[in-house]
Amino acid sequence: MRTRTRFSRMLVGGVTLGMALSLSACGDNGGSGSSDGKIHVLVYGDATNKVEKAVVAEFNKTSKVKAVLDTIPGATYQQKLQTIINTPQAPDVFYNWGAGSIQPFVKAGLLMPLDDFIKDDPKLKSAFLPSVFNAAAVDGKAYGIPMRGTQPVLLFSNDKVLKNAGTQAPKTWDELLDSVKKLKKSGVTPIALGGGDQWPTLMWFEYLYDRIAGPDVLKKAVGGDKDAWASPDSKAALNKLKELVDTGAFGTNYDSVKYTDGGSPALVARGKAGFELMGSWYYSQQQENAKEFAEKDLGYNSFPTIDGGKGDPADIVGNTNNYYSVMKKTKHPEAVAKFLKLMYSDKFIKQQLAIGNLPTTTNTEKFLDTAADPKYAHYQFDLVKKAPSFQLSWDQAYPQSASEQMHQAVQQFFNGSLDVDGFIKAMQALPTS
Amino acid sequence: MTTQLTRAAAPAKDSGRRSGRARGVRSADVGRPGFAWAVPATIFFVLFAILPLLAVAVLSFMSWGGIGDPEWVGLDNWNRVFDDPVMIKSIWLTLLLTVLGVVLQTPLSILIGVWAAGTQRNRAVISAVYFVPLLLSSTAVSVLWRALLDPNFGIPSEATWLFGDGNLFGEQSTAIGVLAFVSTWQFTPLHSLIYQGAARAIPQVLYQAAEIDGAGRVRQFFSITLPQLRNSVITSMILMVVGGLTTFETVLILTQGGPGTDTTISAYYMYQKAFKSFDFGAGAVIALLLVVAATIISLIVVRLSGYDKMRSTMEGVS
Amino acid sequence: MRRRPNYLAGVAAVAWLIIVALPLYVMLAATVQSKGDYAKGSPLSWPEHFTFENYSGAFDEGFGQFFVNTLIVTVAVVGIVVVLVPPLAYAVVRSRSRVASGVFRLFLLGLAIPAQAVIVPMFYLISEAGLYDNLIGVILPTAAFCLPISTLILSGAMRDIGHELFEAMAVDGASPRRMFLQLVLPLSKGGISTIVVFSALQAWNGFLFPLVLTQSDSTKVITLGLYNFQTEHGINVPGTLAAVFMSMVPILLVYLFARRALVQGLMGVGGK
Repeated sequence: MRTRTRFSRMLVGGVTLGMALSLSACGDNGGSGSSDGKIHVLVYGDATNKVEKAVVAEFNKTSKVKAVLDTIPGATYQQKLQTIINTPQAPDVFYNWGAGSIQPFVKAGLLMPLDDFIKDDPKLKSAFLPSVFNAAAVDGKAYGIPMRGTQPVLLFSNDKVLKNAGTQAPKTWDELLDSVKKLKKSGVTPIALGGGDQWPTLMWFEYLYDRIAGPDVLKKAVGGDKDAWASPDSKAALNKLKELVDTGAFGTNYDSVKYTDGGSPALVARGKAGFELMGSWYYSQQQENAKEFAEKDLGYNSFPTIDGGKGDPADIVGNTNNYYSVMKKTKHPEAVAKFLKLMYSDKFIKQQLAIGNLPTTTNTEKFLDTAADPKYAHYQFDLVKKAPSFQLSWDQAYPQSASEQMHQAVQQFFNGSLDVDGFIKAMQALPTS
Repeated sequence: MTTQLTRAAAPAKDSGRRSGRARGVRSADVGRPGFAWAVPATIFFVLFAILPLLAVAVLSFMSWGGIGDPEWVGLDNWNRVFDDPVMIKSIWLTLLLTVLGVVLQTPLSILIGVWAAGTQRNRAVISAVYFVPLLLSSTAVSVLWRALLDPNFGIPSEATWLFGDGNLFGEQSTAIGVLAFVSTWQFTPLHSLIYQGAARAIPQVLYQAAEIDGAGRVRQFFSITLPQLRNSVITSMILMVVGGLTTFETVLILTQGGPGTDTTISAYYMYQKAFKSFDFGAGAVIALLLVVAATIISLIVVRLSGYDKMRSTMEGVS
Repeated sequence: MRRRPNYLAGVAAVAWLIIVALPLYVMLAATVQSKGDYAKGSPLSWPEHFTFENYSGAFDEGFGQFFVNTLIVTVAVVGIVVVLVPPLAYAVVRSRSRVASGVFRLFLLGLAIPAQAVIVPMFYLISEAGLYDNLIGVILPTAAFCLPISTLILSGAMRDIGHELFEAMAVDGASPRRMFLQLVLPLSKGGISTIVVFSALQAWNGFLFPLVLTQSDSTKVITLGLYNFQTEHGINVPGTLAAVFMSMVPILLVYLFARRALVQGLMGVGGK
């Protein structure tokens, strides 16, 4: 009896261990990369995911190799991706912003050039607007298929708040300053800013630079010309931006507020702020999280013009698109190729439009009227079509390794710890390759 | 608790009985486990804790960005880290938060623990409520307080007469205050429990004797209760110090090291360096420093208190 | 025995009660309001309309799977600790071998190793072993880091077993194995339940290892699910707090039904 006590204890312990191990081994074969007979599609976690989920469900209806959608919350997306991309468990297909965001992966030989897929199905390239498609090409080879939409940055507003303050959406810079004054008086934060994420702050720089100095400054800087940052135009843009910050337009706690967790949009939706400068995905964000507000009081306009600026007032900045890139070592390239085909299918285009995104396929125009808000869809489409220049977000134009420094520099300029010269120096120190 | 009894007793008991044993084998060795009993646990621990620790030491001399292979760079990381003002700041911040934690939590836990050790029934009910924060993970506690202290929609924003613009995360002083408060909120129950258990074990005899001698309540507290809690204070402090050095979730969720780098404690800085800037070499240096610091502190506390000799607080009592 | 009630301590106790209970109240109140209602009122107000949509929303986000994963991790970690630590503590307490006391010193030092310090090489090790994004990859390191303090606690408990008892068994010619099974284990029940409680809590509430070593939804544990939820929907306070509350429900249930064991277990950490 005594020996049995010992035996049974060991047995129970061992069985528990064994059970747990086997349960975990077979109960969670998700994520073990392509070795589980599925393809893993990794995307940025936000309100657009429902369309991506629908696409995956559609794909799984007819494909033997199933697709699984994994998401990472936006705030930690790039960092997590970088961590896992070199592990055996990297996804097969992943979301990115093209250009600088995939450059290091291409360099490390991790990505599959998509030219073979395109040879088999030329529409994978021809269905998309060339300028957009080429943003994901590196060294002449195609590495990404556009999968969300084009995302110009617009100035959104809570029109009810604006009306209460006796102002409206500004067309010029001076009108903006005037609106800010009136909004402050009416007791709200004039401009909501998700400073905690840092990249929303960057958008202000992008537009100021484009309006005052034109798109060339950044083009030169990314190309390696560091003097571009010290040019008089660059300084003028920074000074003008400082003017705006100093009026208290952004409130006092913006660095503790984030966009990615819904903080700054909530300020606008709940009537505590008047404006927010954000990518066009703002529309679907608000639709998802503050339906009533989105339907009644959400306003959108292009960024104000600035007198005497070199940039064309019709220029826009933002993300030319988001792309799916493919890992070279994927075990199911044929399934992946089939999946990618869905990116230009009519159904997918319509689903995107329904949540406020603007796909960049050549046939988008004819579906614009099926959009959730056809006015918004037409507005965006015309804006993008007519824009002489579409500046890519700086943190995507520069290589990934420059992101952290760039974000810190813009944050520090806004909070005063860096002055104009300090900012210029910081930008000049960014790596360009 | 080892006493001197055994050694005296053993020879007397065994001398006549061990006929079959070989001479020279101490009878007290009979029936003792060999070190083989310790082997499985040791192997496991070495594999999953010691080995990675050694790997950290090696990694601190290499440069690795997550993609590709690590390359040897000698003392380069070490120099960079020691020259880094943010690193120096993080050390000072870590110390500050740890000391704050000890200073806030120890008296509070002792008071509550001793109070809860009393046998009145309502104390048991209230103690049950105190216990709840302990059931939450650090993550859950931090998420809870982040929601409650949101700069625009949380409690402070409603009480601007007390909290200014409602943004407790915008200034270093208030941000540190929040971190210290949240840690206290979560861990005081644990330490109170330790003290409660220890206080219950204090023999009433001691208090009775003191009363006879005319000692008042306060005197009894300082002369009897506190000294008897000595071992618990040591345990509690070790836990607090090591806990302070490894506070991570609270910083990650509440302040992300901000504003700027004003609450970037060393453990968080290490995470930032490794998983955000992808400078794993520098991260390894910081990690190693953390381990060394924790080890030294633990050793000092243990030595000073004689804990490893496990002295009993019951000496001379019965 | 006590005559005059201790007013100072009583006041402190009540004050602390408020500090502890108020956030819990806010949490519960928020979780039963809809997003819109919560936004309209203040965090402290009593809810007007009650709804359970936040809880169902949390399940939609995958909390069911997270529960299962966390349970698997917890059971496995406790299993490992219970199998490895008693023999170790027995050796530490009873063995005359120098190796054994060296091993004890090793584990004492191990107490000082913060888990953060080893996450980078752990990440490298685990992913090379092909265990990235696999619960086993989380279980093994978590269990390893529970070992030092469990050893400390259990050896402390075993030390209390009087030498006379061992002597008596030795007189009967008992082998170490018999002593272990018939004497040590039964008398260490308190210590063992302490380490079970401790390791279970560590495993259930563990965050760092899952954060760094897992990726997909199918291997997420509750703490990570909570973090992700907050990162993406932080402004949805009712939803977030519902998730927080759900993360503590299992432990709360254990607490309600096995309060004594849980509390005794944690008190035992003090090592008397």
